[in-house]
Amino acid sequence: MTAVKNVVIIGGGAGGAMLANRLPSDEFNVTLIDKEGYNYYLPWLLYVAFKGSRREMKRSLESILKPNVRLIKSTVTAINLSDKWIELINGKRINYDYVVIAAGADVDDSKINGLHDLMVRYGNYYTNEENALKVWRTLNSIKEGTLLIAVSDPKHRCPPSPMEGAFLAEEFIRSRGLSDKVKVVFATPYPRPYPAEPMNEVVEPIMRERGIEIVNFFTLDYVEPNKQVMRSLEGDELKYDAAIVVPPHVGARLKYYPEDVIDSDGFVLADKLTNRIKGFDDAFVIGDASAVPVAKTGVTAHLEASVVARILMGEDAKNSGRTNCPFDLGYGLGTFVIGDYYTPVVKYPPNKINHMMKMAFAAIYWDMIKYPELWDPIFDSFFDATNPSILKRIYG
Amino acid sequence: MTQATRTVDARGLSCPGPITELVKAYRNSKMGDIIEVLATDEGFKQDVQAWIRKTGNELIELKEENGEIRALIRIVKR
Repeated sequence: MTAVKNVVIIGGGAGGAMLANRLPSDEFNVTLIDKEGYNYYLPWLLYVAFKGSRREMKRSLESILKPNVRLIKSTVTAINLSDKWIELINGKRINYDYVVIAAGADVDDSKINGLHDLMVRYGNYYTNEENALKVWRTLNSIKEGTLLIAVSDPKHRCPPSPMEGAFLAEEFIRSRGLSDKVKVVFATPYPRPYPAEPMNEVVEPIMRERGIEIVNFFTLDYVEPNKQVMRSLEGDELKYDAAIVVPPHVGARLKYYPEDVIDSDGFVLADKLTNRIKGFDDAFVIGDASAVPVAKTGVTAHLEASVVARILMGEDAKNSGRTNCPFDLGYGLGTFVIGDYYTPVVKYPPNKINHMMKMAFAAIYWDMIKYPELWDPIFDSFFDATNPSILKRIYG
Repeated sequence: MTQATRTVDARGLSCPGPITELVKAYRNSKMGDIIEVLATDEGFKQDVQAWIRKTGNELIELKEENGEIRALIRIVKR
């Protein structure tokens, strides 16, 4: 019989909690460290911000982790990958056989001058419920002028979310009968609203049809909150009466030894197929915390967690880079951004069923985290049926 | 050969796409920096040229070999 392995997981988000629940208790001692002890369903911030939803967004980790998982509520301050220990905020060190960093991403509004003031004033839908509710109040208070939704930085969670915000804002403004008085403007640093070209062909015409003004190539340099102006690195300016900005994201703020395992934004460098941290066989990073070139989304964390679980169990598993991001287009319409390392994003057509699937997923999310083995057959068959190489033949 | 200040490896990145990595490198750059971007996404060649036209930065090199695109950009405007 082989010895039981000590696995330490840092972070109890979708990836960390799912991985913890996937490891068999007779082979692994699993410890999960989380600073707050809650799992958040972050995609719901969109509906708090643009629909005023008050649906509960979090569950205690105790209620969704399997009984064999040891939960430590503390903040990890440092990790030494060479000597295989983790240090907690109280100074205590924990040794491991394997470590998985699933610490997510943080928002950093200090990178852009004036952004902090703007976010305090109008809110944002990338941090917490309180700030998302502030967006809802911003929407409810604008009666005329320009409502600007701007992507400040390419590194943010959920690639569709900025456009989703613009679509839902326009729906809200129209429902209040203010379309003639309030102009919704969407600004992005890319050459087009959605960065992946095939998906843009699906969504840009809808944006134009709804009268949302598009400003491309606007890389936010700084904000002048008093003048209500944003300026770009390209030298352009945009005036606003209210502005919701997608803020820059950085990796979790902990100290790494060696220091060169992270990029300049604090994301951990890793192999895109196995999620092994650069230079280490016994350390992994999954989800938003990684610098792997994939979208920062829950589905990425979900799929990476299952690959890492299988590698830990001795299998030769590899990531496909699959994304499956639900994309709310407003008025009950939705699509999915589907692609992987081998097939570019598909032109997946919008319909109401896709939107219902997004809502259904929100309803089953915590059950899926707690019982991945029960949901695997459903998700496996969905991912097979919607394999991008198959969809490509149908939709191009 | 021109030495890159930073290399951005966006190979295999289809969503959100290599253009996002270039914009990220632009944000973090200083005047005079040379950014090398490696990509496999077909659309990137057009995107990088459109981006150069808009931003006024300098495209030192753009070539495609075995399905791999390499762009070398000098930051002269920001």
